[in-house]
Amino acid sequence: MEGLPAIVADQLQELIYTDRAAAYLQVDAALNLIGAGGHLEAYGLAGLRLGEPAPEQAFFLEGLLPPFETPCIMPSMELANGRAADLHFFISDDTCWVVLLDVSAERDAAQRMQQKAYNMTLAQEREALLNRRLEAANAALLATQHELEGSRDALARAHDQVQAQAAELAAWNKTLEERVASQLAEIERMGRLKRFFAPSLAELIVSTGNERILESHRRDIAVLFCDLRGFTAFAESAEPEEVMTLLHDYHAALVPLIQQFEGTLDRFVGDGLMVYFNDPVPCPNPAERAVGLAVAMRDAVAALTRSWRRHDYELGFGIGIAQGFATLGQIGFEGRFDYSAIGTVINTAARLCEVAKDGQILITSRVAAAVAEAADVKEIGPLTLKGLRRALAVCNVEALKAA
Amino acid sequence: MTVTLQKKICMLGGFSVGKTSLVKRFVASVFSESYLTTVGVKIDKKTVELSDRTVNLILWDLAGEDEISSLRMTYLRGAAGYVLVADGTRPSTLEVALSLRRRVEADFGPLPFVLLLNKNDLRKEWTIRDEEIDRLKQDGWWVRSTSARTGEGVDDAFGTLAEQLAR
Repeated sequence: MEGLPAIVADQLQELIYTDRAAAYLQVDAALNLIGAGGHLEAYGLAGLRLGEPAPEQAFFLEGLLPPFETPCIMPSMELANGRAADLHFFISDDTCWVVLLDVSAERDAAQRMQQKAYNMTLAQEREALLNRRLEAANAALLATQHELEGSRDALARAHDQVQAQAAELAAWNKTLEERVASQLAEIERMGRLKRFFAPSLAELIVSTGNERILESHRRDIAVLFCDLRGFTAFAESAEPEEVMTLLHDYHAALVPLIQQFEGTLDRFVGDGLMVYFNDPVPCPNPAERAVGLAVAMRDAVAALTRSWRRHDYELGFGIGIAQGFATLGQIGFEGRFDYSAIGTVINTAARLCEVAKDGQILITSRVAAAVAEAADVKEIGPLTLKGLRRALAVCNVEALKAA
Repeated sequence: MTVTLQKKICMLGGFSVGKTSLVKRFVASVFSESYLTTVGVKIDKKTVELSDRTVNLILWDLAGEDEISSLRMTYLRGAAGYVLVADGTRPSTLEVALSLRRRVEADFGPLPFVLLLNKNDLRKEWTIRDEEIDRLKQDGWWVRSTSARTGEGVDDAFGTLAEQLAR
C-alpha cells in the first residue's frame, strides 16, 4: 500500500474485505488447521475446528497442500454453496496461508459470455449434423431416383419388347390366316378333285399345285368298264328301295378297290362304272393295274352275288378293258365341270364290257400283251363289236399269276 | 474401525458433454434439462462405501475444453484419478477426451481413469462408432456408456474409479 494515503489504503482494505468476502485459513506442516478467519460463513466454512486436519474440514484443499509453488492461485473455484472464490496460497514461517476472495460476479459474467459462445457452437454443430443428414437423405433420394429411372428404362425396354412381340404375333396371325385360307382353298380343291380321282391322287394334285393336268390333253390310258348282267331286268322287277340298296352295296364294294389301285373314277351310270389309269397322274403300268383292279372287282362282286342269290337276284358281272390314246380334260362349262376322257379306246372298253359274260374280263390284245407276265389270259377269238369297223382280238383274264 | 480415505478426482472432457450433470446425478441423484456452462471449477463431495473402506471423493468438475477455454492444468494438481467424458452423439468430443488424456498423462504420469460415453439415452442419435470403442477396450481402457438423464452406468463408473483409487 506504499504511495497510498492511509485513508485510501484503509478504504481499499475495507472494500476487499467486505465486497470480496475475504477469508483465510492457516495450515501447518502437518496439514492441521491452526487458524481461520474473515467471512468464512460466505464459503460454508463456519464451525471449523482448529488443530484438526484442514482437508477434512475444507475438502477443496484435498491434494493442494502443501502448495506446489508459492505464492500460487487456484482461480474461480465454485464451492458447495455456489459461491466462487479465487484461492491464494502462500507460505510464511512453515505455515501455509490460504486466502479466499469472492469472484462470483466475475464468474457469472464469464459464464454468460461462455454460455452464449457454447450455445452458438452447439447450434452450429447441430446444423452441421442436420446438413450431413440432409445430404445423406438427398443422396439416398438421388440413388432412388436413379433406380427409378433405371426401372423406367427397363419398363420402356419391356414395353418395346412387348410391342415387338405383338407385331410378331400379328404377323404370325396373318400368316396363320393366310395358311388357313390356303388350306380351305386346298380343301375345296381337294373336294372337287376327289370327285374325279382316288383320294391319294387328289392329294397329290393338290400338294403339287399343278392343276394344269386338268387341261385338255392326249394320253395313252387303260380304260375299264364294268356293269352287272341282268341289272335292267332286275331294276324293272324289283322295288326301287331294293335297287338302291343293291347299288349301294355294289358301289361300296367297288369304289374302295378303285381307290386302292389308284384308278381315276370317271363316272357312275347306274350299275356301270368307268375307270381309267395313267391319267391325270401317270403310272408306269396302266394295263396291269386295270387288270389287277378288274380281278379284285370280279372277286368282290362274286361274294356279293352269292348274297344276292339268296334274295333270288339273278345278276352277273362283266368287265371290259382297252388301252390306247384318248383326249382327257375338263368337260362342261362354268359351274358344272367334269373331268372325262373321249376316244375310241373308251368305246372299245365299253363294248367289251357289253359283250362280256358273267365273270368275264375281256381285254384287247394290246392289254393282253401288257399283262402277259402278270395274268393268265385266254384268247376267245376275234369279236366284232358294235361301232367298230374291224373285228377285234379279245382275251379273257382267267386269273392273276402268283407273284 | 473403517478406514476413510479422501481422494480428489477431476471431471475432464469437451464442453456440453454432461460432466456437471454426471456429478449432480452421482452426488444428488438429480438431473436438469437446462444446460449451464461451468466456469473455472466446481467442487463437490460424495462418499462412497466400499467393502472394506470408505472413500470421500472430492469431485473437481472442470470447465469444458474448447478452442477458447483451454484446460488449466493447475486444477489437476493433487488429483488421484480422473473421469474422461465424451458425448456419444458428438464424435469430436471423443477426440477431445483422447487429447486430454494424453496431456494429463504427459504432465502427471499415469493416473487411474475411466472413460464415460454419456447421453446413452439418445442412442438413436449415437454417432461414435463401436469399432473405435472396442479398440480402446482392447487397449485396456475402462469404458462405459452412461446417461446422466436416466442414471444409467453413473454409480458404477464412479464406484469403479473409487475402487481403483482405494487399492
